[in-house]
Amino acid sequence: MLAKQLLLAIIGLSAGTIAAGGLFAFVVELGVISDFADRTHTADKVLLYEDSTMLGGIIGNLLFCYQIPLPFGTWILPWIGALWGIFVGCWAMALAEVLNVFPVFMRRIRIVKYLGIFVIATAIGKGVGACIFFLKGW
Amino acid sequence: MATNHDILYIKCDRNVEITKRTVTLGDIAVMESGNKTLLSKLKTMTLFKISEDKKQRYVISVLKIIECIHEKYPNLEVQSLGEPDMIVTYESKKTPPKWFHIIKAGFVTIVIFFGAAFSMMAFNNDVDITNLFDQIYIAVTGEEAKGFTMLELTYSIGVAVGSIGFFNHFGKRRFTVDPTPIEIEMRLYENDIQTTLIEAASRKGEELDVGKATPTSNHRT
Repeated sequence: MLAKQLLLAIIGLSAGTIAAGGLFAFVVELGVISDFADRTHTADKVLLYEDSTMLGGIIGNLLFCYQIPLPFGTWILPWIGALWGIFVGCWAMALAEVLNVFPVFMRRIRIVKYLGIFVIATAIGKGVGACIFFLKGW
Repeated sequence: MATNHDILYIKCDRNVEITKRTVTLGDIAVMESGNKTLLSKLKTMTLFKISEDKKQRYVISVLKIIECIHEKYPNLEVQSLGEPDMIVTYESKKTPPKWFHIIKAGFVTIVIFFGAAFSMMAFNNDVDITNLFDQIYIAVTGEEAKGFTMLELTYSIGVAVGSIGFFNHFGKRRFTVDPTPIEIEMRLYENDIQTTLIEAASRKGEELDVGKATPTSNHRT
């Protein structure tokens, strides 16, 4: 019994370590956080942002695994939802940026101007898409 | 005065921020020469004046700077050891108020905190970790899992170990002397921006290079 528990412990520990490393590597390499720091001219606070990422990951995981209920649910939820939306929106755009979606299409259709319009159109499209997704209950 | 054997070594940084409207050579370059009197004269030599008092950006080629030096000291040999092109950003008001900075940093911290929490939960949900843990539990012990098991506990510890290990510090305590992943990413991002600015200016012909007129106003892009 003890040996089995020990094996489970090792599996859990390794899974957590690698999953966290992989997930954060994905977030960091996409440059979401360095983008935030650059836009707001707060590059001096990068260490704080890293701490924040870590704590977010650790606490989010605890909430998920142990199904911990949160206090003040209805009051806090819209705010958290907005923050999640900001983060995921930036993440999705960062993914498009890293994969060079815009430059490739701009070159293909030979348009060099109006990049701003394309970006805004993408943003509105993503927002509308999210709304339809939730309204339809997909 | 400069003689024929004087050599001036000049080293320019790629990205310079200035707050004065009269740009001197000493503001944007580090210099060294055997002729110390010449050196102090060159440091205060005016390169150009910024016409409008608003935030703007210039891309300057080191050749332009050498040309300016040669106008005054034609016989001086100038050796550039730094960047061939540089970005000079003029901003009259150097630092925005401290509280504004703190508010911005605080907001970013909160977004990142909840964003990271969301990503972690989304990831766990995506790979259906609850179900996976049950399957592993049965595979290892041969019994159904009742309530929370060892797996959830050690997985949570693992997540903490992995993230602290990945970011290589906690709070101000670093575990090795290496820079952290975001510090590196930040630097790469800044390099990309600087390269883009320089290349874009040179492509549009806005770079201040030899054989071109002195600047009027190139607005910040």
